[in-house]
Amino acid sequence: MNSLPDAPPDDVPPDDPLDDRYADFVGLLARHDQAVRRFVRALLPTGDGVDDVMQETALECWRKYDQFSDTATEVDGEFTRWACVIARYKALSWQRDRARDRLVFRESVIEQLAASAELRLDRGDHEREAIERCLDQLPADQRRLLLSVHSPGESVARIASETGQRARKLYSVVQSLRKLLLRCVESRLASESSHG
Amino acid sequence: MADRLKNVIFQTLQRTVSRADFDWLQDRLEQDDAARQTYLTAVHVSEHLDQQAVDASGKPTPSDAPGADAMSTPLSIGRQTIESTPVMHWVLVAVAANIIALAGITWYARTHDAPSRTERGSVLPDDAMATSSAPDASSSFAAGDSDTTTERLIAGHATLRRAIDIRWPKGNSGLHEGDVLTNGTLQFDSGVAEIDFFCGATLIVEGPAKLNLESDWSAEVFLGRLRANVPPVARGFTVKAADAQIVDQGTEFALQVTPDAACVEVLRGQVEIRSTDTPARQLRTGQRHWLKGSASSASDFHDLVTNDDVQRRRHTAQSDRLADWRNHIRQLRRDERLIALYTADAIDRSAESSDESLRRMFNQVGAPDERDGVLVGPVERVSGRFGNESKGLDFSRTGARVRTRTDGQYGAFTFACWARIDGLDHVYNALFLADGYENGEPHWQIDQDGRLLFSVMVDDTPGTGLGGHPQARFHHLYKTRPFWNDSNRNQWFHLVAVYDPPNRRVTQYVNGDIVGDEVIQPKFHVQDLRIGPAEIGNWGQPLRNSPWFAVRNLNGQIDELAIYDAALDANAIQSLYQQGKPLGY
Repeated sequence: MNSLPDAPPDDVPPDDPLDDRYADFVGLLARHDQAVRRFVRALLPTGDGVDDVMQETALECWRKYDQFSDTATEVDGEFTRWACVIARYKALSWQRDRARDRLVFRESVIEQLAASAELRLDRGDHEREAIERCLDQLPADQRRLLLSVHSPGESVARIASETGQRARKLYSVVQSLRKLLLRCVESRLASESSHG
Repeated sequence: MADRLKNVIFQTLQRTVSRADFDWLQDRLEQDDAARQTYLTAVHVSEHLDQQAVDASGKPTPSDAPGADAMSTPLSIGRQTIESTPVMHWVLVAVAANIIALAGITWYARTHDAPSRTERGSVLPDDAMATSSAPDASSSFAAGDSDTTTERLIAGHATLRRAIDIRWPKGNSGLHEGDVLTNGTLQFDSGVAEIDFFCGATLIVEGPAKLNLESDWSAEVFLGRLRANVPPVARGFTVKAADAQIVDQGTEFALQVTPDAACVEVLRGQVEIRSTDTPARQLRTGQRHWLKGSASSASDFHDLVTNDDVQRRRHTAQSDRLADWRNHIRQLRRDERLIALYTADAIDRSAESSDESLRRMFNQVGAPDERDGVLVGPVERVSGRFGNESKGLDFSRTGARVRTRTDGQYGAFTFACWARIDGLDHVYNALFLADGYENGEPHWQIDQDGRLLFSVMVDDTPGTGLGGHPQARFHHLYKTRPFWNDSNRNQWFHLVAVYDPPNRRVTQYVNGDIVGDEVIQPKFHVQDLRIGPAEIGNWGQPLRNSPWFAVRNLNGQIDELAIYDAALDANAIQSLYQQGKPLGY
């Protein structure tokens, strides 16, 4: 999902379509939306709330955009970092609304994760490349199985419930593949960072 | 320990974690930076898989030798994103079994479940899966780097170009014309299927038929009569039957396979027959050869369907279909719950084709002429979804729009239309949008991810919207799961949005199946519905009296747009789909 406030948010065109400032902002957001989104996704383990937080973040960024563009020296490089700081607060306030739900991290965990994630922001491309390389090295059938359970509307549990007694096996296979992939990505990243 | 951490992380991301494990994970994340790093990487891996999965095609890598990929993933990917089909599950079981058997995850014995039901598209997992010698899973990651590009890929070997009078086996919804076919079994009880393989070969298959699509270059036939047309570019295309291979040298040949006999005849050119126990033999024009059985089980190819026959039969079927559909519209327009019913085809409305009537989208409901939609800008009149004799309207050029006006107040809405989507070019791609988007007015569109979006304005006061932007207004977008991707270009879809304030539900359908169902929250509940000036296929005036307009024209066609002052139920919607679907659906 693209969380851009399309012509300022929700179906309203900009007051003045020639507003350069708005165009710059939308351009920046479009370029860095994925990175900010990944950051937010890491703080909300089930993925619930990511769209809401992203939208809130985009709006808040637009509200504060003047402050940012006045102070930023290297606009592109600093934008993601700045947006992630805002996203962190938005994620926290989302968490506070839902702290009693199952599977929402407590505040201190979100804080810690956000701090770790911010340090990794400029490694996003490396990481994506590592994941792609590792995925490419999986045999085609294993890759296909993994992608199948990640398809929209699918989950191992759902597939398992339809296939009865094989559920545990399927689950274990998928889980093993995920761990395998994760190990591969981690070792790639480790070797990259040791080579500068 | 490391293993437990990874297990619990993935369980958390999949929402299958226990409370105790979740708390354990939180403690680990709080205390241990390495655990946090692992968690962050795992989230990104998981996200990446989600994104890749939307493409729904396992990405072939350069190291995948042709033919090595023998997994049967029999799916028509044309509609994969709509509904996870039972076939998907069988495939997964089959895949899982295969991995268990092959991938060195050795703590399971492979058990053997033959699937016991037919599936949509009549595609069955191949129980007798050929097995590629997959390496041990732990050594799957070779040290070597292969440079891979990340262009979008679609998996498949062939397309179902034309389907005439096909009856699919009981209990499955069949394939549609234009569907991409991946490997797996294709089976139907009667009718004719014309299959174009990506190598250039064409098979015209008469039912009852059962065949297995193996690759771009080969198919195995278990049952059926077919004509294979193989142009020079596809020389080497192979059809297998009765333990023999018919290797085509650039020709046309016929094949009939029954339970006890199989016979091939060369209609033009030359083929080579190979089998394990006899030397290869050449067959030339007019020659016939029995792969199994003998002339006693006489076979005659003189009435075999030709390309021209397919064309003719299709033309007749198309004309019948169009006539049936017109009758359906004549019935439909009597429904008193209809507010409007816009068609590109005049249907009894005006016999003369004056310039003026060519700039209309005809409203089949209410007083003629007053409530027709008016074509504005570069809307093109084209052939519609029932072939050359039918009418269609194409909105693919920027600025194309049909202006409508609908007065009155309503208590519920059902919007239904047929749309052919050739691309989702914009952030929002319009189906039907009210000008101004004021209180109680509807917006119905498709986003770039291929999701349907329906919304009704709750409070159009600037600044009331979520997030506090000075221009934001208060409303809620009801989104479905994605139903469209690149493989669906040029296919028609029946789309429906039901906005039901009395029952506080918004339900959306694609081709008769529910793809989204959401409760209307009290804060978004709107009972007083209106439309006013509105547009089909674009968004006219985002703000009244402003020269600016958003670019939202749909790249494709829209037809049979029905608007009801009622919430139609699933049966009524299924019936609209059945009555309105094009040939070959």
